[in-house]
Amino acid sequence: MTATLRIAAILAALALPAQAEEDFSAGSTASSWGLTGERLARFDARVVDAVCALTGDCPADCGAGLRQMVLIREADGVMVLAMKNTQPIFTGATVDLARWCGQTVTVDGLLVGEPEQTQGGRLMQVQTVTAPGAEAAKTDQWLDEWRAANPDAGTGDWFRHDPRIRERIARDGYLGLGLETDAAFISENQ
Amino acid sequence: MNRRLGMAFALLAGAFSGGAAIAEGDPVSVTGEVIDTWCYFSGVMGGPEAVVGSAHHTCAMWCAAGGIPVGVLADDGTVYMVMKWQGDPAIADGTAMLDAQSHRITAKGTLYVRDGINYLMVAEIAADDGIVNRSHEDFGVVPPFAIPEL
Repeated sequence: MTATLRIAAILAALALPAQAEEDFSAGSTASSWGLTGERLARFDARVVDAVCALTGDCPADCGAGLRQMVLIREADGVMVLAMKNTQPIFTGATVDLARWCGQTVTVDGLLVGEPEQTQGGRLMQVQTVTAPGAEAAKTDQWLDEWRAANPDAGTGDWFRHDPRIRERIARDGYLGLGLETDAAFISENQ
Repeated sequence: MNRRLGMAFALLAGAFSGGAAIAEGDPVSVTGEVIDTWCYFSGVMGGPEAVVGSAHHTCAMWCAAGGIPVGVLADDGTVYMVMKWQGDPAIADGTAMLDAQSHRITAKGTLYVRDGINYLMVAEIAADDGIVNRSHEDFGVVPPFAIPEL
């Protein structure tokens, strides 16, 4: 076996372990959210965007928050999709993770999802990121970036003031089925 | 390019991609509903049947705009995580997919399966039937505060 083939075999073996069988709760200080299949998880991982990891198309900034992000776990090479940051306001993890693009960091948070539903895969809510030699950083930057990009959108809940969403609700209603359906539903349920 | 050179290239690309193994995707056509994957998998707002369709439409827009991965829930129950939309990987602000939330679509593209998760690179939307899952008739609106008037 050549060195190239040997390395390929090692990489293939690293990709085999099922996420669901692993326990990465040691040392975690993550807060429970009471989610489906929730497990505390703290592990070292290389931060990269998903398209890069899958296809080799790798911008240096991981898309600067516009690409979905994954964590390549150091212990076993498993790729974990980062779904959520720590803010309880419908926000993902891309903005918070892109700043660590290409770096190996320690993430702490929750692995969620029923393995039966996700073919053994698990999805992660990342609550903190710790770079080597640094303090743990909360994944709470999304809202600041949204406010900076939407200075005229008001100070209340972002999701009620996002102009893109307001435009679509004004056009299609909250149910997405048209304003008449909305009006009937609201009238029946007030 | 011979096989050995091809493998060497793949390994080199893997080094840039964080150690992940680069693989060829498979062409695929997926028909199903565009969903909010966080609420669907985490159970944060109830069972999966309540966080799809019209009942969850507004929340699905919130989550897409907030950068949570959008998925396609196929008719057989498989969820495909959308990583590109009409060929574009810069989708995590949700804007490109807002008009498709809760719609039943047929997406053509490339599928990568990695560690149990289906990653879908959507090249084109071959069909869009709009919202056909009128789940509000069974579940109301989820979460209830999505409609401030209620």
